[in-house]
Amino acid sequence: MKFLKSTCILFLLLVISFTGNAQTADEILDGYYEAIGGRDAWSKVEGFKYTAKVNQQGMEIPVEMVQMKGGKTYTKISFQGLNIMQGVFDGETLWNTNFQTMKAEKATTEQIENHKLENNDFPDALLNYKENKYDLELVGKETFDGTEAFKLKLTKEPMMVDGQKVEDVVYYYFETESFAMIGSETDITEGPMKGSISQTKLSDYQEVDGLMIPFSMNDGIKDGPSQPIVIEKVEVNPTLDETLLAFPSEAVPTAKPANGEPGKGGDKQ
Amino acid sequence: MKKLILLVVLLVSTTLYINAQDSEVILKGKEMFGDMSARQIGPALMSGRISDLEGHPTNNRIIYAGTAGGGVWKSTNGGASFNSIFDDHIQSIGVVKVDPHDPDNTIWVGTGETWTRNSVSIGDGVYKSTDGGSNWKKMPLKGSERVSNIIIHPENKDVVYVGELGALWGDSEDRGVFKTTDGGQSWEKIFYIDQKTGCADLVVDPNNPDILYASMWEFRRTAWSFNSGGTKSGLFKSTNGGKTWSKIHNGYPSGKLGRIAVAVAPSDSNILYSVIETEKEETNGLYRSDDAGASWKKLNGDFGLVVRPFYFSRIVVDPKNPDVLVKGGLFGSISRDGGKTFKNPGRMHADIHDILFDINDSDRMYFATDGGVYRTWDGGNTLDIVSNLPVSQFYHISIDNAEPYNIYGGLQDNGSWYGPSNSPGGIEARDWNSVGYGDGFRVLKHKTKPIIYSEMQGAENVWRYDMKLNQNKTIQPLPIKGDPKLRFNWNAPISLSETHPDRIYIGSQFVHMSEDMGDTWVKISKDLTTNDKSKQNQADSGGLSKDNSGAENHCTIFTINESPIDDKVIWVGTDDGNVQVTKNGGKKWTNITKNIQGLPQNTWCYHIEASVHNAGTAYAVFDGHTKNDKNPYVFKTTDFGKSWSSIMTDEVKGFTRSLQEDFENPDLLFLGTETGLYITINGGKSWSQFTNNMPATAVHHIEMHAGTNDIVMGTHGRGIIILDDVSPLRNLTPDVLAEDLHFFKSDPYTMVEESGFGGGSSELQFVGPNRNRNARIIYYLKKRHIFGKMKMEIQDMDGNFVSELAPGKSKGINVVTWNYLTKTPKMAKGKTFTFGGFTSPRAPAGKYKVVLTKGKKTYETDLEIKYDENSVITAAERKKHQEVTRKLFDMSEDLAYQVYEMDEMLAVAEKESADNSGVKKIADKLINQLNALKSRSVITTGDNYVGAAEPELREKLATLYAKVAGGFEPPSAAELENMSLLEGTFNDGKKTLEKIKSGPWNKFSKAINTSGEELAKWKSKAEFLKA
Repeated sequence: MKFLKSTCILFLLLVISFTGNAQTADEILDGYYEAIGGRDAWSKVEGFKYTAKVNQQGMEIPVEMVQMKGGKTYTKISFQGLNIMQGVFDGETLWNTNFQTMKAEKATTEQIENHKLENNDFPDALLNYKENKYDLELVGKETFDGTEAFKLKLTKEPMMVDGQKVEDVVYYYFETESFAMIGSETDITEGPMKGSISQTKLSDYQEVDGLMIPFSMNDGIKDGPSQPIVIEKVEVNPTLDETLLAFPSEAVPTAKPANGEPGKGGDKQ
Repeated sequence: MKKLILLVVLLVSTTLYINAQDSEVILKGKEMFGDMSARQIGPALMSGRISDLEGHPTNNRIIYAGTAGGGVWKSTNGGASFNSIFDDHIQSIGVVKVDPHDPDNTIWVGTGETWTRNSVSIGDGVYKSTDGGSNWKKMPLKGSERVSNIIIHPENKDVVYVGELGALWGDSEDRGVFKTTDGGQSWEKIFYIDQKTGCADLVVDPNNPDILYASMWEFRRTAWSFNSGGTKSGLFKSTNGGKTWSKIHNGYPSGKLGRIAVAVAPSDSNILYSVIETEKEETNGLYRSDDAGASWKKLNGDFGLVVRPFYFSRIVVDPKNPDVLVKGGLFGSISRDGGKTFKNPGRMHADIHDILFDINDSDRMYFATDGGVYRTWDGGNTLDIVSNLPVSQFYHISIDNAEPYNIYGGLQDNGSWYGPSNSPGGIEARDWNSVGYGDGFRVLKHKTKPIIYSEMQGAENVWRYDMKLNQNKTIQPLPIKGDPKLRFNWNAPISLSETHPDRIYIGSQFVHMSEDMGDTWVKISKDLTTNDKSKQNQADSGGLSKDNSGAENHCTIFTINESPIDDKVIWVGTDDGNVQVTKNGGKKWTNITKNIQGLPQNTWCYHIEASVHNAGTAYAVFDGHTKNDKNPYVFKTTDFGKSWSSIMTDEVKGFTRSLQEDFENPDLLFLGTETGLYITINGGKSWSQFTNNMPATAVHHIEMHAGTNDIVMGTHGRGIIILDDVSPLRNLTPDVLAEDLHFFKSDPYTMVEESGFGGGSSELQFVGPNRNRNARIIYYLKKRHIFGKMKMEIQDMDGNFVSELAPGKSKGINVVTWNYLTKTPKMAKGKTFTFGGFTSPRAPAGKYKVVLTKGKKTYETDLEIKYDENSVITAAERKKHQEVTRKLFDMSEDLAYQVYEMDEMLAVAEKESADNSGVKKIADKLINQLNALKSRSVITTGDNYVGAAEPELREKLATLYAKVAGGFEPPSAAELENMSLLEGTFNDGKKTLEKIKSGPWNKFSKAINTSGEELAKWKSKAEFLKA
């Protein structure tokens, strides 16, 4: 009984001192990796395959995302049984399927070079931030999604946007109680939304092979519209079909024209 | 050791005890409001006052605009468009400065505008960002009210000078020039004159950073006067980094000086320009020094240079040419001969406060005006407004009962307007209608007639505008025999009656009432103000430069409010601190000011909210800032003003201007302060600031819309901001807050039957977002959901799946919307998309279940949706619409399955044809027939744009389906005839497929199925549709 009591006090003391202390960025990361399965387990991961869905106006759109150590990645979106590849990267070439022609088109050289900078960011940009010589800084505490969170700022290698060097900064939010990452923010540096903040909210952490993975992502503009992505299945260390990554010379889907009916469906002038 | 343990135990048990006692969940701010979010709808077409502009030393795409009440905006595209980067902090900006050592990241902001007009807001110090404006840190520099300039040492980024103009409305020691040598961590006041004299301008010699020039200004504003100038004003120079300062007036006239603008030519440090305000008109004007301030020579005293020094003291010299300079002013002045002569730039909004030259091309300039940022590409001849800066400054707003409701309001120097709360394609510039000139204030819509009342400053004109005839007449009360001079406030009160549509009230020192829309006026009160004559000498206001614009008119009525419950009860508040009430329509007035305990004397009564719950209940909101008192004051009475109690807590920051009572829950109140919106759910015992997409801007007036439960705010710097449907806050009781998850009940939602066009704005024009008209599922979550699955489904009352929604996971209130849509049909796979297949049928009106699963727990609530009451569509027609939609939906899915079967058969046949020469002939025949049928069923060639093939059955069906399902009306005869045609084709195809199955397929199967192995097994239709 006495033992129990003193253990209890010790525990309370620990809690008090733990919550009372100011956290450093590294302590927060330690807490985060501890909460999601440990640094060791995450270091050993070679890749992820996410089977997900996006709901648009009542239409359920299946999405498959693969991310591999080293940077190889693709996202496959299916509409009406047709596959559209987006953000496909084989380590050298980044390409997307054009929605109109259904043919593959390369991203700009600048985008490809920027993408290559992320090759060392697997499984995320935080795990090896020191080896990658990124800067990590604790900004402070903020309320994110109604919840008190630690805000960390990660500065990666600068990117090139329209010929100009631009800092690549990600802000991460970790819930103060569980240390779970509940969101991140980056500045949008190109396109019509340039100057706005892109925000991702994470939740629904579930265990897969000893790793805690968020099964719900909500991507959007801060204080603006967003798109939820529901993950249905996560495969750790999937086999990657490398043929999917190669930049195709022609459209992915093919269908043979009907015999005996030539001339059907010619191009419009 | 034992003692220590005991101490810890005691400590711990005390904490636990306190926690147990205090079990009521108290939530604050974002934790309570969750993902409820405000909607900023602009407008931006007339924009608002810009106080300062700043460029980037090497990248001309980056421009910052500091605004009078809308924070800091950043452009990354050379001023084509801007984004707000300072929402969380006080919105009145004095200066923005980019650190030349780290120009991409380090930005300094000095808050508190220095163009000290009557309606100017306040700042609270200096902020610094080291990440390009994403995050800001407040510097520990004792809170100054306004910052005139920040100078970053060109050779040492840690050395920074700050010029503080300081308090406008009272004495203060927080003025002068401050210096940090450690990047802002510690500060030293290095130049100070007295409590009345602040630093109005601070410049550095770009070629010798030890040389600084400071213009010091003796100035003061009261609610009834303004004084610019005194013996302490002067221009000073330091040659040792601010250690010592000496006056440089050689060539200036003697006597008192007012506000002084000063500039050093960046390309020649010896050339200085200053514009000075002096005792005599003939000595006012532009002075030039060619010897770094040792002597001055007057060059020019044109109107454009000397007009309103307190508002326009800025000189900007072309960075490349010392003889090209621009001075802010009513229209602005440009000189190209070193200040000898000036001309005005081209047409833009009047009142120019700052000018920015492009770093590479001096013909490209930016102007900060009372009406936004203007750009020129030809040295100022022609100008173009930036169309996406929604920093309009409303003095007051009102709303009507139209559907969607409109918002009416008047703006600082930008007239009066009304515009909709919703518009097809978003709320665009073209949706706003002008209904008054000058400074606009109260704009009110007649309850029943197409009449709008609006006014300009000091009730110089009160317009009665007939919207139908497009005619206006001015109706302001005019003096009659025996009247003293009528004193109208700059922002004169006009109000209407809830019960008598033609009644209108206007306040001078008297309450004027008209029962015939302003044609006949009756004074229904005596002078209700203090009528203090010492506060009525506006003709002498201004100081060295007379400035009698009417802005300082005082001892006037400021707010008039007839009780919505009893039209004989009228509450009046005056700018000199009186609160008066009548219970008999004006026959007898009682001054109830003295009953308000804790209110300093003569504090401006800004608003009285006459309660909708009780005629004797009112809230009086006071604003003391013109007496240099920035405390919030809100008092409540329930006995017609006999007694009052304060409902303020120290949670509320900034002085108070407006209050809105909830129409249902008397404890739910919305308070507008100089730094944002505050909400209480317990009658004022505790307050929370609402910050979700709601900047810390001054909220001058708040209205509530009864039909939508929207809170509509007129802000003085960020236009109109709406908080849609606040009804969930009504039910945030302690019991609810203690639940893990609580669904709020809602009224049935209407599926609005509109399908118009809209969206004519360019991408550089501001478009305000519309109210979301979807059904809203609102719930409170005690804790943010992080671990485990959380899912939300709409089901019919029998539990059948209707739609899946993405639930919100915020701590606090979550709002999930449902667009009334069910799922899309599964379409046949073709070579391309069929866009009609992306349409989902709408759910029929009725009750639905919302099922939320969170981990192992399930929570349920009901939701009702109904048809548009304004619809002309009959129940029978709706039934027909649903039947035909369903039929087309089913046909599309049937066809999808047929094509799937064809593809499965083709796959086997093609394989055998290639591998098995024995059956090649039979297989090829089968393949030909299948392909022929498939090519009539679905597109098999082409692309999704101009390479598209001719539509086949799938595409034709989908097009008709989308046409019917997407509309509201029953299918037309043409559509039914078209369906009948397609149905024929569909049936033919179906028959053909059956024939192929029983004929060639059967034959083929038998031919290859010699070993008895299973030939082809594909999904059943149910499996196929589910996949």
